[in-house]
Amino acid sequence: MSTRPPTLRENRRYILVRVEPAGTVIDQKELYYTISDAVTSLWGDTVAGLITQAVVAAENGHVIIRCLRGTEQELALALSTVTACRDVRLALRIVAASGTIESLRERIRTVKPVTEPVPAPVPGPAGADGAEPAVCVFAEKPFLIVNCNGQKVDVIEKGFKNAHRLFLTRSDLENS
Amino acid sequence: MKITDAAVFPYPCGDTSVRRFAREACSLGFDSLVAMDTPAGSFDGVEILSGIIVQDAPMRDVIARVKRAKDSGRVVSVNARDNGFNRAAISLKGVHILRGLQSADKMAFDHVTAKMAADNNVAIDIDLSVLIAARGVTRQRAIHRYRDVLTLERRFEFPVSLSSYARSYLDLRAVREITGLCSLIGMDTPGVEKALDTVGKVTAPPVSAVRVIS
Repeated sequence: MSTRPPTLRENRRYILVRVEPAGTVIDQKELYYTISDAVTSLWGDTVAGLITQAVVAAENGHVIIRCLRGTEQELALALSTVTACRDVRLALRIVAASGTIESLRERIRTVKPVTEPVPAPVPGPAGADGAEPAVCVFAEKPFLIVNCNGQKVDVIEKGFKNAHRLFLTRSDLENS
Repeated sequence: MKITDAAVFPYPCGDTSVRRFAREACSLGFDSLVAMDTPAGSFDGVEILSGIIVQDAPMRDVIARVKRAKDSGRVVSVNARDNGFNRAAISLKGVHILRGLQSADKMAFDHVTAKMAADNNVAIDIDLSVLIAARGVTRQRAIHRYRDVLTLERRFEFPVSLSSYARSYLDLRAVREITGLCSLIGMDTPGVEKALDTVGKVTAPPVSAVRVIS
């Protein structure tokens, strides 16, 4: 099948979405099915067929999702009903919408680095270089720090039984 | 105008500390949160209001708990049940919000209860977590119930509040997303703004009907 000339192609829009919590590993295909489920559940097959959503790219904790021009609102609303992707809890925060993928990639590159002042040194997150993850104490229990971004600290209780993530701040760790 | 989420559950009820909730709520456009079973405070410019929910208790216990919490500055909510219970709860002094209408009886909230809510300045809560996380029949029923509540709200003008029931900061939604979700139940943008401002209005001390001028 030959490619259609630009004037005959459907106009598309691209939505940039930030995936939370930070550090979540995103499988593009799984996320596509999750979004597809959310869209179908909320709007039904007719509108889902019109939106024709697709996960175009996933990079740096961000995802670019494609839809038909004019259906951004419907897709955005469906995205706000996504709470988990294959039993992994997550939230999709809409950052921007654009007509080109490139401008959204530019937006990802210019995401502001964390500039908030750090009140006291807290051990860094689990090292990517295989170093032992830092340990902290909260509510008189030891926790492993899995992610640390400015004031925000994500921890998991030490021990193999409880792999549930807690979302804290540096102030919580300092005051506990 | 103060944009308030009328129910969040910080640690230990949820997995997010109240400070983290405040930080995330600030970035999502909220000015204050009603945190259940948490002391009041202010973090990162977000005011934390302490709240309690009275549920699964006979009317006598509800009255006792509401009386205890009356002058504590907390936001007092009661979970809805049958029509008689709801009418009694709404007429109690010190109750600010009636919650959980989507899972109450079909006839739990009628025009008489709506009129009483308007007269007593008690807010009827809309639980956004059902619209966000539920699927299928549960969400359809909730949408139907909320549309019915909003029909009565337009007629009797009782306050309506919006709650995310977030147990994690991942369950919080931005104000713009809430506006979109509320459009599903037929609430327009001014209506959403009004509903987000409701907690401040229902917790404010009542203005006397008679003003002494000399």
